Amino acid sequence: MSRSKERSISVALATATCGLLGSSIPAVVDAQEEPNWDINTSLLYYGEDEDRVQEFSLKAIIRRLYTDDRVFTFGLTIDGLTGASPSGAIPLDSPQTITNASGNSVYTVPAGELPLDEEFRDTRVAITANWQQPVGESSQVNIGASASKEYDYLHFGLSGRFSKDFNKRNTTVSAGFAVASDENDPEGGAPIPLSSLLDIGDLSNHLGTDDKDIVDVVLGVSQVISRNLVVQANYSFSNESGYLNNPFKILSVVDATTGDTISRVAGPGGGPSHEFLFENRPNDRSKQSLYTQAKYYMDGNVLDASYRYMTDDWEIDSHTIDLRYRWPVGNDKYLEPHLRFYTQTEAEFYRLSIIDGAPLPVYASSDYRLGDFDAMTAGLKFGWKTSDNNDMSVRVELYQQSGSIPGGQIIGNQAARNNYPDLNAIIAQFSYRFKR
Amino acid sequence: MGSPCELLCELESSRDAEMMTAIVAAEAWRIEEKLSRYIDGNIIHQINSANGKPVEVDSETAQLLDFAETLFSLSEGAFDITSGVLRGAWTFDGSDNIPARPEVEALLIHVGWDKGNWQSPVLTLPGNMEIDLGGIGKEYAVDRAVNILRADSDKPFLVNFGGDLAVTGPPQARKAWTVGIEAVEQGEATQLIELRQGALATSGDARRFLKRDGVRYGHVIDPRTGWPVEEAASSITVAADTCTQAGMLSTLAMLKGASAESFLDKQSEQYWCHR
Repeated sequence: MSRSKERSISVALATATCGLLGSSIPAVVDAQEEPNWDINTSLLYYGEDEDRVQEFSLKAIIRRLYTDDRVFTFGLTIDGLTGASPSGAIPLDSPQTITNASGNSVYTVPAGELPLDEEFRDTRVAITANWQQPVGESSQVNIGASASKEYDYLHFGLSGRFSKDFNKRNTTVSAGFAVASDENDPEGGAPIPLSSLLDIGDLSNHLGTDDKDIVDVVLGVSQVISRNLVVQANYSFSNESGYLNNPFKILSVVDATTGDTISRVAGPGGGPSHEFLFENRPNDRSKQSLYTQAKYYMDGNVLDASYRYMTDDWEIDSHTIDLRYRWPVGNDKYLEPHLRFYTQTEAEFYRLSIIDGAPLPVYASSDYRLGDFDAMTAGLKFGWKTSDNNDMSVRVELYQQSGSIPGGQIIGNQAARNNYPDLNAIIAQFSYRFKR
Repeated sequence: MGSPCELLCELESSRDAEMMTAIVAAEAWRIEEKLSRYIDGNIIHQINSANGKPVEVDSETAQLLDFAETLFSLSEGAFDITSGVLRGAWTFDGSDNIPARPEVEALLIHVGWDKGNWQSPVLTLPGNMEIDLGGIGKEYAVDRAVNILRADSDKPFLVNFGGDLAVTGPPQARKAWTVGIEAVEQGEATQLIELRQGALATSGDARRFLKRDGVRYGHVIDPRTGWPVEEAASSITVAADTCTQAGMLSTLAMLKGASAESFLDKQSEQYWCHR
């Protein structure tokens, strides 16, 4: 059969079919192979004001979709961190010189300023792999592994989750676990807890590496209430044990009356100008949290509201309220305002400084993240479909945190200084999601 | 239809769903009653037992015979509704039971649409010849059901008669109907297709074959030789405006054997071919 004759078959067939089925003109076929790949990429910038932490994060989540709802997910994240982070020492009316965490150099903080560890610089590479598949008609299993590497930190994790649908798939109950083992290997070795900062080159207060183990268990239920409303509740328990200190964090040793840091004479090779101790946290921490979420749909608008209560045996209690509203603009664009409120109480061993001459506490940390603070995030996301039906979005958010020191901990001259400055940060993210 | 039939719909009330299902089922049974070669007394039975006498057919059957004649000529005899008698020689049960040549030759005398005389609405076939509209009927029934649904409702439906299917439009809750093409050997879908409009039909059944001396004989018989088409694909799925077009293209491609893909490449429709 000649080429032209073969080519005309579909045309002749269309005419013949039209005669067979009557005059009604059928709709034109629109069939497309379902994409096998779903790739979500994003670039995130997080920047704290006053030259504190700046972070760039490049992320790709690659999902390979197989038939019968089986999915393999691979994630890659590359983070670059620079800037300065509060060391935990209090500001003074005079300059102070502090040995850095690795013990091989010193930095000087001008009078009246909060001591920041300027050497905060790191790159992190993280990978995750996950396999999800149905089991029988109504259940699903999910297993995953993760690993990440920083200059001084190594993480390995495994996770699993099982979920089962009930009630015509309107109810889903799930149980999951995750275990992780992390190794902290700070330059110069992890410092001995509550030991003094020493002169440059004296590493006698540094040990080798230290590990921690993490176990998480999550139990969840989600329920379709109506065509418009889906609610979800999760309970989770998490335990960390092992080396939970931050090797970069220190405390100032202060005079019981003036509240000023005790002076110290540095050795000939240089060293700290005042007395500082490395922090010490308990080597075990158990957290419990309850998370509830409701999603309400109305004509393409989606209200997503959630609340989380977290409590741990370090006596940190926190409350988080998160609100998002997705508001369609035309057919293929949307705006999504976001508000988040957070508040936490301080850890029982949080203290601004250590009093010279008083009995040394068993645990002590002045890490501002373990303090009493409130935070608010306000942001806006704009998303749109590209001409080839992929998704792009930009998100800009402002973060503001303000903390307070428990009244009884402020001694003498400390009252006149800002020991816990507010933190402001900006978050900007660009995302591109495409399928093929 | 000799296979599971289903109607998928997106409706507000289950009463509407039941009503539409009843309408579609009634149409499917009507076509089956009329065109099945296994039912005594229907028009096919009358034609197949006419023993050389002319039979006047109703207008619907006449349209189907016109269509069959067009396909016979388009395929140069490869698509032939009189080829059913060859089933007497071939049973594709996975065995090595290859018929002897004389046995096939004897049956081949009774095959050939051009040996009969079709002057609509009168068909005259030589004695011992039979017709079988099974190769058209299922796809035709799907398209008839879709036309009825379109006339009665503007809601989205998917009509699936044994894997040959068509939709009346995309579902509202999701952007498309997701249809899996099964690779017969594995029993699981190998490719998912998002169907918003139109139809999909599949030819082929890799489980039906014969094998002898290392040669595999697939179940598609070329009515011009009486022997299985060499190197036929194990399954071919075609997307087209109507299920009838999709079904006929996948059948014609199957009859092309090794050159199924090059045949389909020249048509303007999408296809998925498994070998």
